[in-house]
Amino acid sequence: METIKSNFPVVFCTKCVLSNQKPITLIESRHQKNSIKDTVKFTQGVCDACKWNEEKNLINWKQRDEELKALCDEHRRIDGGYDVIVPASGGKDSRYVAHLLKFKYNMNPLTVTWRPHIPTEVGIRNLSSMIDSGFDNQLISPNGDIQKKLTRLAFENLGHPFQPFILGQRVVGPKAALATGAKLVFYGENVAEYGNRIEENYTPTMNSKLYTSFNFLSPKNKFSDFFLAGVNLEELVDNKTLRAQDLAIYASPDIEQIEENFIEVHYMSYYKKWVPQDNYYYAVQHTGFEPNPSRRDGSYGKYAGIDDMIEDLHYFMQLVKFGMGRATWDACQEIRTEKITREEGASLVRKYDTEAPKTYIFEILNYLQMTETEFWAVIDSYREGHLWDWEKEKGWFLKNQVR
Amino acid sequence: MRLIARLDIKGENLIKGVKFDGLKVIGRKKKIAQCYYREGIDELIYVDAVASLYSRPPNFELVRRISKNSFRPLTVCGGIKNVDDAKAVFNNGGDKIAINTAAVENPGLVTDLVKEFGAQAVTISIEAKKIGPDNWEVYSHGGREPTGKRVIDWIKTLDTLGAGEILLTSIDNDGTFSGFDSDLCISASKVSDLPLVIGGGGGSIDDILKMTQLCRLSGIAIASAFHYKHFSIADVRNAFACINSS
Repeated sequence: METIKSNFPVVFCTKCVLSNQKPITLIESRHQKNSIKDTVKFTQGVCDACKWNEEKNLINWKQRDEELKALCDEHRRIDGGYDVIVPASGGKDSRYVAHLLKFKYNMNPLTVTWRPHIPTEVGIRNLSSMIDSGFDNQLISPNGDIQKKLTRLAFENLGHPFQPFILGQRVVGPKAALATGAKLVFYGENVAEYGNRIEENYTPTMNSKLYTSFNFLSPKNKFSDFFLAGVNLEELVDNKTLRAQDLAIYASPDIEQIEENFIEVHYMSYYKKWVPQDNYYYAVQHTGFEPNPSRRDGSYGKYAGIDDMIEDLHYFMQLVKFGMGRATWDACQEIRTEKITREEGASLVRKYDTEAPKTYIFEILNYLQMTETEFWAVIDSYREGHLWDWEKEKGWFLKNQVR
Repeated sequence: MRLIARLDIKGENLIKGVKFDGLKVIGRKKKIAQCYYREGIDELIYVDAVASLYSRPPNFELVRRISKNSFRPLTVCGGIKNVDDAKAVFNNGGDKIAINTAAVENPGLVTDLVKEFGAQAVTISIEAKKIGPDNWEVYSHGGREPTGKRVIDWIKTLDTLGAGEILLTSIDNDGTFSGFDSDLCISASKVSDLPLVIGGGGGSIDDILKMTQLCRLSGIAIASAFHYKHFSIADVRNAFACINSS
């Protein structure tokens, strides 16, 4: 089981509602059972995400815009080829990035989509409407049977059902660049926006390890050096769960390939002040984006993370492992961007955070090929003693919730 | 036809979203309410957009302050859960109340309110989400929770419960300036004779004129288009004056 470096006691940021249990994102392909993650840094009661949020206000965004123009000028192609790859789910953020690059900076983007596990209806409509709003798109669909197996293993072994998906999503951009000759890849926001190490925000480019570390197909590497869904690749293949060739779609390129082809992977959040709600407004206005019909389980919001049913389980596992569910993530960013107050955010967290997946529970169980009893046994095995308590009347409950 | 400014309120601020999400602060409520009043709005609807979401009652003190400075009918919406809440709204200067979530959860409340305060004082707010051709679902909690009720059936029920007026807002068109959901309004006006106020999507004077020709309306509610100054109250008045004189 994956654990975080335990922080006692549980403390919540005094500016937002993040707790000191939030782990820092690792290179997913190193991620093994029992690996210990670092947690977000707190300084005098304030989390790194909030600290970074204050720094953002001092950035000269006009100058950043000039940097973006210069970058686009350098990469813009006039031969008709794609000059930028935008990995895009069809959600509000990726369509904002793609639309901006094409219509404001006159680039010729190719959007690339790593298929969701179980696409929602609104997600399918949004992918279509993004394409219809003026974009070429490549849909990369990993073998569903394999992805199901990997997702289940990642759920059981790491409590992190989204892990194989994240690996795939991280490499589609650079791989599409290699395939099309585009030299530039644009992702949305740096995860450090939400509380990884602050310094990561200072560079425009993504840490290349994130998209080159899973290069198990490279002749210089051994299968046994890699992990997926918490299992060593050699073991995964030996167990006849799947074959080596089934995994090719997850393999990342080599750093040498990236460097030889001068491919650069950038974050839009370096160039534009990242306000998720503004992206939502932009996406509705310019590209016909549609929010979820209702709030999603575990939160109050309708506009973020709505294209995959497994997402509901992903957020719920964050609650189980770290005591922070979907409402915490939504509220944190809306507090930082001053859409709601901390007090409002805390009340939303208390109201919605612990709500278990219910809307799509049958689809999720069917996807994982699990009975409800098996499913809850896995979930309960991830409840950390310092976060959760159990009483006959109440069932499981969090010992500490934000006030 | 009454022209109504809809003010979605949270604390001291005027807020507004798109499709009932992404609520953002637009300005200070008091200043904007006075501004609309001076420009000659017929009515104000004051919606505590997050009362149900945060499970809190309306801010009665605020109702009192707004009604004191406004000499136009004031409808108060958001967080009213029972006859006592409604009474407090009227005692603090509100002229009408509007309810959504509470009516959906307890339809009998509509009858109780009408009995106590009269039908003219009780508006039912309906948040309508399109779910198919000529089919809309009623949502509650500020457009976040589906209720399983069909809008058209709900309007028929409200008619029999004795409601005074319907405020019908399209979730899909809200904040988009793309025009009102005319199919929704026509369908609603066909099934009941209750006074009907529509909202959600009004982005131009033409949108308003078109709707008044398409169906029988008691009023039109405008929020974003006034807040973001797509047109003014005077512009609407002038457009109607032109039509009436020609």
